[in-house]
Amino acid sequence: MRRTARLLTGTALAVATAGLLAAPAYAGETAGTSTGSLEVYPSSVAPGSHVTVNTAACGDGGTAAGDATAVGAGRFTLAPSTHERDAIGQFQVPPSAQPGTYEIVATCDGTDRRVAGDLVVTLTPDARQVVPRGSVKTGVGGALGPDPVQTAAGVTALAVAAAGGTWLLHRRARGDDI
Amino acid sequence: MRRRFRRTGGPGNAAIAAVTVCALCAGMWLLRDGTGTQAPPQPSAAQAHAGDDDRGADRTSAPALPPSPPDRIRIPAIGVDAPLTGLGLTRTGSLDAPPADRENLAGWYEAGTTPGETGTAIVAGHVDNTDGPAVFYSLGALRKGGTIEVDRRDGTVAVFTVDAVEVYDAEDFPDEKVYGAAPRPELRVITCGGGWSRTTGYQGNVVVYAHLTGSR
Repeated sequence: MRRTARLLTGTALAVATAGLLAAPAYAGETAGTSTGSLEVYPSSVAPGSHVTVNTAACGDGGTAAGDATAVGAGRFTLAPSTHERDAIGQFQVPPSAQPGTYEIVATCDGTDRRVAGDLVVTLTPDARQVVPRGSVKTGVGGALGPDPVQTAAGVTALAVAAAGGTWLLHRRARGDDI
Repeated sequence: MRRRFRRTGGPGNAAIAAVTVCALCAGMWLLRDGTGTQAPPQPSAAQAHAGDDDRGADRTSAPALPPSPPDRIRIPAIGVDAPLTGLGLTRTGSLDAPPADRENLAGWYEAGTTPGETGTAIVAGHVDNTDGPAVFYSLGALRKGGTIEVDRRDGTVAVFTVDAVEVYDAEDFPDEKVYGAAPRPELRVITCGGGWSRTTGYQGNVVVYAHLTGSR
């Protein structure tokens, strides 16, 4: 019984750890796909880092008031950007910020619509950096095969040449001037 | 009837002869070009890093930008102007490639550095797909000093200058050199390259090394 309990605790810990590791990588992605939220990038940072937030919730050309006081970064503004209909703002996490999860809030000017996203502060800045290795599969050789259109054009051109040549030979055989 | 032929026969025959010669030349060129196996351009040795310690020779760059995801990449010298999608890793730990069916789509490694930020940002795209050439078909023709621009979501444009263009065999891929951390904002642009065989496909990758030289 005790052994089962320990096993369960161990499993729970492993799941929780896996969840924590996976969270920073996917948080930004899921937030970015819905228009009603605030996308925080990077979603996991070290103290002193710059953070970019954007949202499509304020509509075309919309601006918003950002609030990062939770993490001690104060207030900032979100201005319209070139990217689709997003309003974008930036702030710097203070070097004194403590590790933890903080809610960053933006309120659309005019509509007062409120959107929020999570920012995770960690003490290990490079935890998110898993470096790829090896080569990348970025081609199948499709550019290397014969080009059917060009081949057909070539065959047609040669057929014309053959017809022309035959005609000329014919006339020469008939004794016409060439 | 015969007289008339004789009178106009000269210029008529000359025209037919000219058309025949042109058609012959064009036909041969089209057939050679259309049925031949044209490999995508590959970088020459002159485009490689000058020496082993050359990466340390010039460490200066424009001031790093704050992190912001990229939206688009432009390489004017080889006519590239393509949107960027996020890329992850495959189960073996290699960088995933963007969907092959959209020939004008490149990708960036979104768990890594964003282009313009300090570190090594990674962009990859296909050299071709089953339909023919794709977004980075001409990447191997890029030369040192060339410009790469990346539009970022925060509205800034990160401008990179090419340091080297190299080609590596997949069997002997220099992971650290290509993907390793950098103390300044750097960019890698990767596509397939090297030799090609029907059984194994492309045997390696063309890798463009660039560093940040400006922003606007």
